[in-house]
Amino acid sequence: MFISAVAAIGAVLPMAATLSASTARVHKASQIVTVKQVTDETGRAVLVPFKVNRIVSLAPNITETIYALGLESKLAGDTDYCDTPAAAKLKPHVGSMLNPSLEAIVALHPDLVLAAANSANRRETVDALARLGVAVYATDSRTVRGMFESITHISSLAGAAQQGTALVARLQARIDALQTRLAERPLVHVLFVVWEDPLITIGQNTFIADALRWSGAESVVIAKQDWPQLALEEVVRLEPEYIVFTGSHSGSSAAQMSDLRSRPMWKGLRAVELGHVVNISEEIDRPAPGLIDAIEELAHKLHPDAFPGENTSAMNHAPADIRIDVGEEGKSCAH
Amino acid sequence: MLFALLFVVVVISLRMGTYPISVSEIVMTLFRGAFGHRDEIPSEFWLVVFGLRLPRIALGILVGAALSVAGAGFQALLRNPLADPYVLGVSSGAALGAILSLTFAPHVPGVIQLAAFIGAAATIASVYFLGRRGGQLDSATLLLAGIVAASFLSAMIMFLMTTLSGHELRGMAFWLMGDLSTPPPTPNVLEWLLFLFGVFAVAAGMIYATTSDLNLILTGEEEARHLGVNVRRVKLVVYISASVLTGLAVSVSGSIGYVGLLVPHVMRMIFGTDYRLLIPTSAIGGAIAIVLADTLARTVVAPTELPVGAMTALAGAPVFIYLMRRRVR
Amino acid sequence: MSAGAGNNSSMVSQPIPFREAAPPRLKAEQVSYAYSATDRSAPKFTLGPTTFEAQHREIVAILGPNASGKSTLLRLLAGLIKPLSGRVEVDGVEASELDLRMRAQRIALVQQESELLFPLRVWEYVLQGRYPYGKRLRFESDEDCLLAANALAQVGADELRDRWMDQLSGGEKQRVILARALSQQPSLLLLDEPTQHLDIGGKVELLRRLRRLADENRYTVVVVTHELNLAAEFSDRIVLLHKGKCLRVGSPAEVYEREVLEEVFEAPLEVETRPSGRPRVIVRSSH
Repeated sequence: MFISAVAAIGAVLPMAATLSASTARVHKASQIVTVKQVTDETGRAVLVPFKVNRIVSLAPNITETIYALGLESKLAGDTDYCDTPAAAKLKPHVGSMLNPSLEAIVALHPDLVLAAANSANRRETVDALARLGVAVYATDSRTVRGMFESITHISSLAGAAQQGTALVARLQARIDALQTRLAERPLVHVLFVVWEDPLITIGQNTFIADALRWSGAESVVIAKQDWPQLALEEVVRLEPEYIVFTGSHSGSSAAQMSDLRSRPMWKGLRAVELGHVVNISEEIDRPAPGLIDAIEELAHKLHPDAFPGENTSAMNHAPADIRIDVGEEGKSCAH
Repeated sequence: MLFALLFVVVVISLRMGTYPISVSEIVMTLFRGAFGHRDEIPSEFWLVVFGLRLPRIALGILVGAALSVAGAGFQALLRNPLADPYVLGVSSGAALGAILSLTFAPHVPGVIQLAAFIGAAATIASVYFLGRRGGQLDSATLLLAGIVAASFLSAMIMFLMTTLSGHELRGMAFWLMGDLSTPPPTPNVLEWLLFLFGVFAVAAGMIYATTSDLNLILTGEEEARHLGVNVRRVKLVVYISASVLTGLAVSVSGSIGYVGLLVPHVMRMIFGTDYRLLIPTSAIGGAIAIVLADTLARTVVAPTELPVGAMTALAGAPVFIYLMRRRVR
Repeated sequence: MSAGAGNNSSMVSQPIPFREAAPPRLKAEQVSYAYSATDRSAPKFTLGPTTFEAQHREIVAILGPNASGKSTLLRLLAGLIKPLSGRVEVDGVEASELDLRMRAQRIALVQQESELLFPLRVWEYVLQGRYPYGKRLRFESDEDCLLAANALAQVGADELRDRWMDQLSGGEKQRVILARALSQQPSLLLLDEPTQHLDIGGKVELLRRLRRLADENRYTVVVVTHELNLAAEFSDRIVLLHKGKCLRVGSPAEVYEREVLEEVFEAPLEVETRPSGRPRVIVRSSH
């Protein structure tokens, strides 16, 4: 018994010695490449190579952004859930967003890993990668404007600064145009439904809340929590003018309306009676270029009289504007 | 010979993983690393073997051994074969500590582990004071006190998880299911591991010292007292040591279930009920179980990683059923 | 064997020549015990002052109906509780002052066994009796094994060595528990109602064995019982308790008086004397 214990310790000690040698914080990159130090959006200092050729994206919105910037050839891998655009599904995967496989990431030999800290990805993942010496840049887009900044940062890191500026300019222009249209109008009060049962809506600090404001709307619920749970009676008291659902809920809007009208508490809501129920794409929660489409779509539906002559149900975009395929309702993107 | 099995499992675990690296490459990495020739190893091999897999395996050994020894200890202390390390609420206390730390001081290295351990310690103390009867620990009272504490703490946790906002809290889900990939709070992995193993050795050693007493206590507390066992002191020592072991494991890796409950039983079936044998074999058995579970968790559905706790539950349930049927005999 | 004179007197004068003039193995002097259910209620006397002595090779029976204080007296003798007044001395040392290990080396207590949590073999169980002699973690020595084997042999249970404890019959288990007590190598052997679950054959066998053990190993044996005739047949001394009071101490012939027994056991009884000189109690038939 004792002897085997000693033998085991004897086997373990050399391993222990080698572990001690692995404590160097930043490993020397196997290629000699010049790096620059940047600060990412969470305040971390990151050493990023000047030439970035292989990027791994850990979040669907980042993947979407990369495609929009025309950088998909540099995308070495993404998560299982990156499905916008469809081509992203064919890239090598590294796992889920909350718990990606660190080994898989390392196996892809990335020059840069992009993560959306505080939303899709966990800070722990970012830290773990950093500890391994992998260059990880974390974005932290909490507002629409923040998203524009993130796009700019990503584009400059990836050596596509020009495309980035151009993309942001285009998107910014669309938002500004929208603002002009909606200038004098009061904000529409909506109930944004994240989940029906239990009824969960959004807090004021969420990304969606910001996107709503850009669409000329405001949530009737003021809450500091991100995902407050609500009782239906509270909704009745708050009297939202519109109810907004996202994406995958049921087929046609007509079917959804009749379903809502048959439900006991819901049918008592004024918004339901008036048919003021709106379904928009799930891109509304994704800090990526497709968001602008969703905002425009929502604005059209909530302020139909601000857009005379435009068909609210078919949103057309000049194909050159955005290089990705978005704008279909009910597209399910797990985010 | 259990050691041999552990060694084999470690080797397998080292080999398996998403990153393509062969056994010979691993061996080469290990040897070159051991002799200081770090520059000769491709940096990625180094990363994978020493940065990712070995720490995880080491942590797995530690957690598995700690949980199993604690489980065996609690089974004796509470006179209940269904006792596992979490029955006295230690893991809930640790989880509460972790949540509070995530909310108030996220991203400070090491704070989660520290807060979890403090939570565990506070629970240990409270349950001790609640679980006393006539000045010493009474099995039935202790069990009740522990269950009450566990429920109360779980309720607090649920309350906090719904009312506090936070992206940080998403990490809690993993923590609650068991996560061996938590990075160490200090940059020096070895220091961290040595510290943990040190605590483990002390606590496990203390339990081991009471094993002959435990054998007697298991045949009856009164009888043990007549034979000269200081029952009161033994119970206290076992309580504290087993709780410390549990707190240690949970602070570091969240709550991984079934191991603390089942490994002692399996070892009993193989090696008998003498605690002088049971404690060491449970430690090794637990280490094997966790390393195996973790290896499966990170390779079965690669590249997605399952939480370790899920694997132990999946494997644990059938084992439990099998054990139950054997007992009926 | 002894011939104590009188009832509550403590001194026994023994002019018989071959007796060693050693101090009595066991001496209880005016021991009493009281127990309060809560801190505030008044203490209830469970045992009034009791005095008796015993030598080696003697069997003492503590006799009385239920709730007469027998178990309390036994626990006092075992040193588990401290007497409210008086002393209990074993080999000249006060029992409750002994440290745990020493006490376990001197006094062995045989009680109804609690339920075993995990399966255990007879051999392991008996070996546990050697605990008071071992060092902390040391596994049992050869000597320990020898003594334990001896103990098993003395109770006639060698063949039970490898059996599982929970598969034994009542009588077998009784013997094994006794063997564990014997392997403690005590001077004083205390048994609490050992005949409870045995049939008459088992009872007789047990008491015969105790008699033999007392003689061969020079134990002092104290048995708590309410079996009048067995006590009369096998014991050298009787301590008769009733509702916490010690009524009589003496040889069976001295103690077994009809009026006293009838009062204590609240039954119509008749006492006969057998040819051996020992009394026998029968139920008086009522016409």
